[in-house]
Amino acid sequence: MFRIPLLVALALSVAFGVGIVSSVSALKATVGFGAIALGPWVAFPEAQTENTDPYAKAHRARAGKLLYGGAEGLQFTAAMDSNGQKLSSDCSYDISGITPPARFWTLYATHANDQPMKIAPDLPAATNAWTVLRQPYSSFVIHVSPVAQPDNWLAIRRSGAFKLVLTLLDTPTAGSSGLIDLAMPAIVKTGCPNA
Amino acid sequence: MRSALFAILVGLVGAALLHIVIILALPQFTGKDAYSRVLGLYEMDSFFPLTSEPGPTGLANDDPFLRVAVCGFSVDAGPARFVAKGAVPFWSLAIYDANSNEIFSMNDHTAVNGNLDLVMATPIQLVDLRKTPPASLAQSIMVAMPGEEGYAVLRALAPTDSYEETVRNFLAESSCEPFRR
Repeated sequence: MFRIPLLVALALSVAFGVGIVSSVSALKATVGFGAIALGPWVAFPEAQTENTDPYAKAHRARAGKLLYGGAEGLQFTAAMDSNGQKLSSDCSYDISGITPPARFWTLYATHANDQPMKIAPDLPAATNAWTVLRQPYSSFVIHVSPVAQPDNWLAIRRSGAFKLVLTLLDTPTAGSSGLIDLAMPAIVKTGCPNA
Repeated sequence: MRSALFAILVGLVGAALLHIVIILALPQFTGKDAYSRVLGLYEMDSFFPLTSEPGPTGLANDDPFLRVAVCGFSVDAGPARFVAKGAVPFWSLAIYDANSNEIFSMNDHTAVNGNLDLVMATPIQLVDLRKTPPASLAQSIMVAMPGEEGYAVLRALAPTDSYEETVRNFLAESSCEPFRR
């Protein structure tokens, strides 16, 4: 007697359950389509435009961030190291190499949910193109570690997974047709002191 | 048993439809998109400098070296003019419409003399401005605004702490006002 209502309830619960969970997880998993990946670094040069895909529009409406315009810059994030393993704040990493052509760049770390890390104000929580110490031929090595390091040290907090955010300001990278060889710095794990 | 499988199949088709509807409709009703947050500052027609800590609307200077100011504006009653002057190492401006689509962006190297002087207007207002150009707009960049409302994001770079004051003054003296001839 209750078979038909039961089947309708089953269909509805599957529809709403799967529909809502899949939407939320899709928006959490990625910013959308149209990513450019250079090694572990990922950027979405079209995410702020009208032409972007519906996932990117839904994602930016949900995140409510002030995105970078085309002439402003391009923001790369890395959630993995160059070997494809997740960045863990228990470990130390070396970021080495050079950035693509840009007038300026900044580098800082965020938690896995894109919230900025709270780090004591006397520790070097961020670095940029002017303050970084360079090697000959202007390449650099930045030590990302929860414990103090010599040379360029980017301090992080022990709080599980984290992301690195590298913002290139006024860069032709987004519109690159592949004529310029785009090289992003590599992220290499150097050790996990407590793991 | 077969009818239960059929019900699950129908449910999955419904889930796919619902997924599409949610993704497409979400931008209209999140209530925490960037434009709603800018409006939530209750500061129309002036640049509002953000702080490092998220304010009441959740907007903050995400990048430790970039100081950001936002301004909600409307070209309904007349063109909007954006002016900023000062010697900061880098500044950039982006104009977004109410759906947070980028309309226009520029930086200090693409500006005239490195100073920001931009007029956003509807295409009809733009025709009017071009027919009888006011002397004060001789150096201005004029851009057509597809919609009526939008917001502007002005970023200025402070590579070291010593630039902090210069950048704060740059943002404080920048203006985002309705233009009247």
